[in-house]
Amino acid sequence: MYQYDAIDREFLVDRSNEFRGQVQRRLAGELTEDQFKPLRLMNGLYLQLHAYMLRVAIPYGSLNPAQMRRLAWIARTYDKGYGHMTTRQNIQFNWVKLKDAPDILDALAQVDLHAIQTSGNCIRNTTSDPYAGATAEEVDDPRVWCEVIRQWSTLHPEFSYLPRKFKIAVTASARDRTAAKVHDIGLMLRRARDGSLGFEVIVGGGQGRTPHVGPTIKEHLPVGRLLSYLEAVLRVYNRHGRRDNIYKARIKILVAALGAEEFGRQVEEEWAKIDAARADLPDTELARIRGAFAATPFETLPAVSEPFEAARAASPALQRFVRNNVKPHKKPGYAIVEISLKAQGQTPGDATADQLDVVADLAERYGLNDVRVTHAQNLVLPHVKLDDLPAVHAALAAADLATANIDLASDIIACPGLDYCALANARAIGVAQDIAAKFADEDRAETVGELKIKISGCINACGHHHVAHIGILGVDKKGEEFYQLSLGGSGAEDASIGKILGPALPADKVAGAIDTLVEAYLGLRNGEERFLDTYRRVGLEPFKEAVYVQAD
Amino acid sequence: MKAITANRLLDGEVVFWKAGQWVDAFGDAQLFDNDDAAVEAAVATGKGQPTVVVDVYPIDLTPSEGHWAPVSYRERIRALGPTNEPTHGKQAEGGEAIDALRHAAGAARSTGRVDLIRRK
Repeated sequence: MYQYDAIDREFLVDRSNEFRGQVQRRLAGELTEDQFKPLRLMNGLYLQLHAYMLRVAIPYGSLNPAQMRRLAWIARTYDKGYGHMTTRQNIQFNWVKLKDAPDILDALAQVDLHAIQTSGNCIRNTTSDPYAGATAEEVDDPRVWCEVIRQWSTLHPEFSYLPRKFKIAVTASARDRTAAKVHDIGLMLRRARDGSLGFEVIVGGGQGRTPHVGPTIKEHLPVGRLLSYLEAVLRVYNRHGRRDNIYKARIKILVAALGAEEFGRQVEEEWAKIDAARADLPDTELARIRGAFAATPFETLPAVSEPFEAARAASPALQRFVRNNVKPHKKPGYAIVEISLKAQGQTPGDATADQLDVVADLAERYGLNDVRVTHAQNLVLPHVKLDDLPAVHAALAAADLATANIDLASDIIACPGLDYCALANARAIGVAQDIAAKFADEDRAETVGELKIKISGCINACGHHHVAHIGILGVDKKGEEFYQLSLGGSGAEDASIGKILGPALPADKVAGAIDTLVEAYLGLRNGEERFLDTYRRVGLEPFKEAVYVQAD
Repeated sequence: MKAITANRLLDGEVVFWKAGQWVDAFGDAQLFDNDDAAVEAAVATGKGQPTVVVDVYPIDLTPSEGHWAPVSYRERIRALGPTNEPTHGKQAEGGEAIDALRHAAGAARSTGRVDLIRRK
């Protein structure tokens, strides 16, 4: 992974000291809350329902064991012993005290972590593929480009006060695990027929109250021109994005208003004015960054592991884990291991300090010192030898981390909702737990197959409900928690926005309705067809009938 | 019936007004019986303590099991702690007043916070 140099480290120490001074001035009454709030937000510190919440960036979702252990230590020392993985590859601590925040930033800085770009109207932490550097699907390592964007965008003076927050995703695989098409900018790395690498540039996707699948404004941007092109996009947005209405300030509104073609034309016009030699990354710098990711010390191994095959033959639990959580690796003899944070009864995305330590130990011992977090609120050990899979599985099982349900109905994305969040209208966690309980029978969950259920506690859509196969949005209806169901969304390469099924349901009817939807699907599907594909074939009506006939 | 709530600046803890002090437990909060002038005066005093609390506002209450509880579900969660972690937050102490909060029924968010719409 990328190694901080002396300048990076000095920068973080300075930043932390600056925030310590700002906190002192706030506590002394020298700064008002109105003056202080934007400063604390620039350091990822929110005030939620019960306490301050600190959102720590995990750039492109990548952590080393020392960083993971430091997060565990912070959870133990300053929180209630756990952290919450977000839907944008960050981690949140829910019980932070303002007086402790500067000490926490210091502790993070010591392991090259920070909370910069996790809030505010700036370019946020870049999302990437959690399988980067491990999957054979990718045409290049997307982390290289994420790190380029991170260095370019951090405290970028021109783009620190945008009309609204700005989120970029980079994927280099045809299978999109980043939700690139619902980001402000989605960058999909592709290799052209002539062998050259380029980005398909998708602009103006987003969720929230106005969901859009982003249109492509450039089919093949030569990779060397990335930063000047991003500068042109951001400059057009910074100039014309609406600052008069917070609900219309995201770039998706501008792109939709102008049309993708006209927006793309304006970007090209702006791009032509930019001095490429100044704006684009020098090859030497790119080579330096690329070098930091090239050194994964893989061994040459046979494609088949006898110890693994023997263990698998003897263990139905390991078989199930491999079926659902283990993915093919680009190197023979290795595998990608997904760690579900969606056990029965668990808060989706929460990990205890002890669990974080277990994963750090496993990464160190068996995983080439690499851990990833996913936007689906799970963890990944990207490089595990097949030989070591039985031991890794056993260690995960001992820490209640071996739930074999990746992308199944119980692998539910849920925002913190009204249990923690100051913006929420309804709870999300309890609903997720109730639905997951319906799929506690693992055989049934596997029979149902891939089914992405996502829950948001308000229209801001942190729980990605618009791009769920079954989306659930918590609403406040005459003072009660109600939940609006939508079907047919996808955040993957086949992105789409879900359609509302019908009137919202009270909290105690939601899990039953999901069960009904699933039963209807099982009756309708052809062969191994996914829920999403069945929906796309038959439409909303059969599902609507199933739920609302029963609900009466 | 009303009470007044805020978050403590230093740690973000939910607090309630009690005769010039800020207390942690909703059960200890001062109750205002339709005395709008007294509520306004206490809110104004609280807003005049920017190094002690942030976001001071009154909340509406409703009877529950012989106690009072916030009308708003959101405010009850603030007074209790998150429902997914029953041992976290104020609810960890338990007791009759906590049970009364847990059993109260009513609004999720839209009502209960008296000054939710802020006029600048």
